[in-house]
Amino acid sequence: MMEHTQYRSAILADPHSTDAELRAHREACAECREYTERLLRFESRLERALRVDIPPTAAAVLPFARKAVRDPRTPRHWMAIAASILLGVAIAGGVWLALPQRTLAAAVVAHMAGEPEAWQRTEAVADSELDTVLKDSKLRLKPDAGVVSYASSCSFRGYRVPHLVVQTPAGPVTVMVLVHESVRKPVQFDDEGYRGTIVPVPGHGSIAVLMRGLKVGSGEIKRVAERVDDSIVWTQ
Amino acid sequence: MNDEAGGIQRRTRFQAICQSLRPDLLRFAFWLSRDRALAEDVVQESMLRAWKAQDSLLDESAAKPWLLTIVRREYARTFERKRFPTVDVDELIAKEEPMLAAAEEQDVSDVRAAIMKLPDEYREPLVLQVLMGYSTAEIARELDLSGPAVLTRLHRARRQLRAACGEDTTLDPQE
Repeated sequence: MMEHTQYRSAILADPHSTDAELRAHREACAECREYTERLLRFESRLERALRVDIPPTAAAVLPFARKAVRDPRTPRHWMAIAASILLGVAIAGGVWLALPQRTLAAAVVAHMAGEPEAWQRTEAVADSELDTVLKDSKLRLKPDAGVVSYASSCSFRGYRVPHLVVQTPAGPVTVMVLVHESVRKPVQFDDEGYRGTIVPVPGHGSIAVLMRGLKVGSGEIKRVAERVDDSIVWTQ
Repeated sequence: MNDEAGGIQRRTRFQAICQSLRPDLLRFAFWLSRDRALAEDVVQESMLRAWKAQDSLLDESAAKPWLLTIVRREYARTFERKRFPTVDVDELIAKEEPMLAAAEEQDVSDVRAAIMKLPDEYREPLVLQVLMGYSTAEIARELDLSGPAVLTRLHRARRQLRAACGEDTTLDPQE
């Protein structure tokens, strides 16, 4: 017959074991039966302990779950934007990060892969739908902003954020308004065919601006980011 | 057109898998890393890798272990890319207090704090067994260990947890 120690050692490793030998020992040994019952009570605590609550916002984050809104209407003139408050923010050195690590930038690039269709559209979205996407972030765009061809309220790292594509003379530009994400200084990145920057917006988190294609220079990105930032009117 | 329809169908199916498994993946990543923000990053990256590698998933019923393996590897990559500073477990517990708090269940909070203090090599097989329902053989395969080695780690993990939580351990076998 199995030794008590042998039984307890095995049952401690797997309290729900259905092994016939273990069951036979348990049925024959009151002390080991009681030991197992105590162990199973603790096991219940352990199971509940491991099942931590997942915040609904985090649980809702899926890499490809977005709903785009579009409707051809009067274009916004993005390019007629004057000086930028970001001129004072140096994008130091123009050093591109060839491999953005586990950073906000990597998450932004990852987000792009989930919505390739966003880059295909060229018609302007409806003003009303654009407003819907932007209102939760307490912002609106200046009337002379460029053509916004894609507007979606996306789940991103636990929050709903506006994801826009703006048509500019330099090509389509993706803008993500990240009011919940702060960066201390501009972060440039170059990954998976996207080049972009995340710039801090004091009091309003940050804005990510991306373009596709390796021919896009850091200076171009910087200028676009400045225009984007200047076209935003914070309503709160 | 057929390609487009197929693409949409494929994406919808993948979304459904992600939606259903994400909570478990996040829990797994959280207990691996003991850091909610890092866990979310790891799962996000893992989803992307899974999307790119979805052709290697031949049987959707095997999606969960397939994704868990991707999460494990992705978490391991974080250490290849970045050297994390040594951390004080008590600080980790304090930092993750919102995640660890169990309303009206002090006994569960105590166990969570004890799990946080378990060594990685004990915590990981325990999570796979208790939370993910892995058998000893499956854990051994996933962690590249022998069956007896897995049982030893599980045994030690529970013994440490029970002691930390004030359970009567007088009958627990010693090694």
